[in-house]
Amino acid sequence: MDTLLLARLQFATTTSIHFLFVVVTLGLVTLLVGLQTAGFITGKPMYERLTRFWGQLYVINYVLGIATGIVMEFQFGLNWSGLSRYVGNVFGAPLAIETLVAFFLESTFLGMWIFGWHRLRRGVHLALLWGVALTAYASAFWIMVANSWLQHPVGYEVRDGIAHLTDFGALLTNPTLGFAFGHVVSAGLVTGGVLMAAVSAWHLIRRTPDFALFRTSLRLGVLTTAISVVFLVGFGFAQFGPVGRVQPTKFGGGPERDALVAEWTARFGPGDYTPPALSSVGLGFMILIGFTLFLGTLLVPLLFRDWIIRLRFPLWVILLALPLPFVAVILGWIAREVGRQPWVAYGLLPTGHAVSPVGAGVMLTSLIGFSLLLGTLAVTNWVLLARHAARGAAHPALGRPPEPDADTRPEPVFA
Amino acid sequence: MELAWYALLGLFFATYLVLGGYDYGVGLLLARRTAPATRRAALNAVGPFFLGNEVWLVATVGILFGAFPTLEGELLSGFYPAVLGALAGVVLVTAGVQLRSRPTGERARAGWDRVVVAGSALAALGWGALLAGLLQGVPLRSDGHVAGLTHLGTPFVAATAVAMLSLVAAQGATFLTLRLPAAEAAPVARLAGRLVPAALAAVGTAAVLGLLSGRVRAAVAQPAAAVLLLVALVAALLAARTALGRGRPGLAFAATSATLALPVALVGAALWPWVLVSTVEPGVGLTVADAAASGPTLRLLGWLALPLLPALLGFQAMCWWVFRGRTDGRAPVYW
Repeated sequence: MDTLLLARLQFATTTSIHFLFVVVTLGLVTLLVGLQTAGFITGKPMYERLTRFWGQLYVINYVLGIATGIVMEFQFGLNWSGLSRYVGNVFGAPLAIETLVAFFLESTFLGMWIFGWHRLRRGVHLALLWGVALTAYASAFWIMVANSWLQHPVGYEVRDGIAHLTDFGALLTNPTLGFAFGHVVSAGLVTGGVLMAAVSAWHLIRRTPDFALFRTSLRLGVLTTAISVVFLVGFGFAQFGPVGRVQPTKFGGGPERDALVAEWTARFGPGDYTPPALSSVGLGFMILIGFTLFLGTLLVPLLFRDWIIRLRFPLWVILLALPLPFVAVILGWIAREVGRQPWVAYGLLPTGHAVSPVGAGVMLTSLIGFSLLLGTLAVTNWVLLARHAARGAAHPALGRPPEPDADTRPEPVFA
Repeated sequence: MELAWYALLGLFFATYLVLGGYDYGVGLLLARRTAPATRRAALNAVGPFFLGNEVWLVATVGILFGAFPTLEGELLSGFYPAVLGALAGVVLVTAGVQLRSRPTGERARAGWDRVVVAGSALAALGWGALLAGLLQGVPLRSDGHVAGLTHLGTPFVAATAVAMLSLVAAQGATFLTLRLPAAEAAPVARLAGRLVPAALAAVGTAAVLGLLSGRVRAAVAQPAAAVLLLVALVAALLAARTALGRGRPGLAFAATSATLALPVALVGAALWPWVLVSTVEPGVGLTVADAAASGPTLRLLGWLALPLLPALLGFQAMCWWVFRGRTDGRAPVYW
């Protein structure tokens, strides 16, 4: 077997699983910030119960985000040592910044948030969740900076065959960055919104006890989806312009593509410089799903006088829509990443030159081992998420309910 | 500039081993046949620190990629089996600790606990093997690539991996002695008292095998520093033993923490100015300066790290301060 193919398969598997959990993390943490802030301001117990219920699902989902993220980070060195050798001076910087600025703090804050319920002052506890959310967005931003550089390398010069950083600002103004970051963030919000609406719809269909609670989260989920899907579609179509300009081979032909392929053939020798058809087919389906979700905005008027619940069929529609954003984010990611092939850094480093010189046997072991491990963990995680979502908000494990007045606890630490 | 980044890389990896060390140590101790409540109490003693401990590894690899890209590629792909094992272990512990209490059945929880035990062992063995592999040199060719995987199959690597496992177990037991409610700490304190001498024996075996190994003697460029740090490691273990015997768990924990940080310092100092030494072609190797990213990248990261490091350390310190002291009946339970 070809080590290049094995290494690509492994990266694709790990990244796809990672992405499924990361979009939920991004979306849910934003909604959680809204819920806990509302609880802090209004003092209504319902918001605290909502925060604890959705917070528990958020934390369970977060586990696989970290686990797959660590594997991805190591894969750059394990399987793609050419990437760090030739372009590490430039590509490594945003990744290093992401781990230090964003992920390091995000996890530190989250640990304190999970164990800080009713132990820290309410304001400090709320600030920690804000910290988790802001660092999660920062994390997404720096990862997109790194990814956009691979899509369209800028701000570097090649000396002795190795890329050196010349202009870090160019990485931040990369034409493939801005709209794509907006698109990913909106996708996270849509996924979080659909997930929240679908779980609430399930409880409302089953007529479980917490009507008022799930009514609130249904409305929040539907409104979040309806607002962010507009941005999602907008940022999606806005990308065609810049991507078509800097990556002419990605979505179709034209004289620009032919000129670029001729230039590459002259510089790198003859070869197939068009991406596999898989990417554009996936893109078509993703756009269809995007439009379907866009129709979800039609549900918003039904929020009036709870018609969305009284009519019941909208609840079923929402529940059945749950897989759509997940399928769409994978297809979108495939369009962006497969559409860049055969380059790991577009027009600079062919994918084949980046793969590590390790044996096919080792690569295959690693592929099978980590795919099985992460696949099993992902399925287990979804089963746990489904069970906890179905169990309802009566006794979430996250944080104790506020204790009665005969309270002997010491004063909250950390004033 | 390169030296500062190399020191920072070492600091992050050493801190990861110290903090992750007690995560994995506590994980290993779940293998004891104790009551479910005892196992849960042990995990929740790590509780709020767990996520903040694991990120030191992620940050280490981030610094490695940003500041030492060439080293990152060759180190991770050149030590493929060790890194694979450690990585699988880290993933298993991360998932196991956080998910084990989500099912309510005791059998499912016991199953997850076994996952944590296996993951902790893999992680400790893997990092031990990686450090030993660095110290005995690698089959680095003049084209700059590490060729082959079997270079890790030596008695020295095996002994060092076992020594790391024993150090991590001692660190976990000492952490629990310090952190569990005073009434429940006596059994772990006795266990820690037995694990520290075992770690001493394992470190001694690894040291003797290292001194006898021609590859290690050839790769070490600073033998005086290596011996000095080895002596410090043994002294820290002896200090941990004394402190445990006198009922001073805080001092003992400081000492066992030092035993996990010192191996990183030892490998870094012993090889200096090299970081990868070739065993197949004399004179070939990768120096720290050559492994580092070029000037503009290091300057950019430097300006960023300068204000950032105090913030990172500050928030970690906030976590330690807020959740300091022994756990008690009112401590939050989530894992």
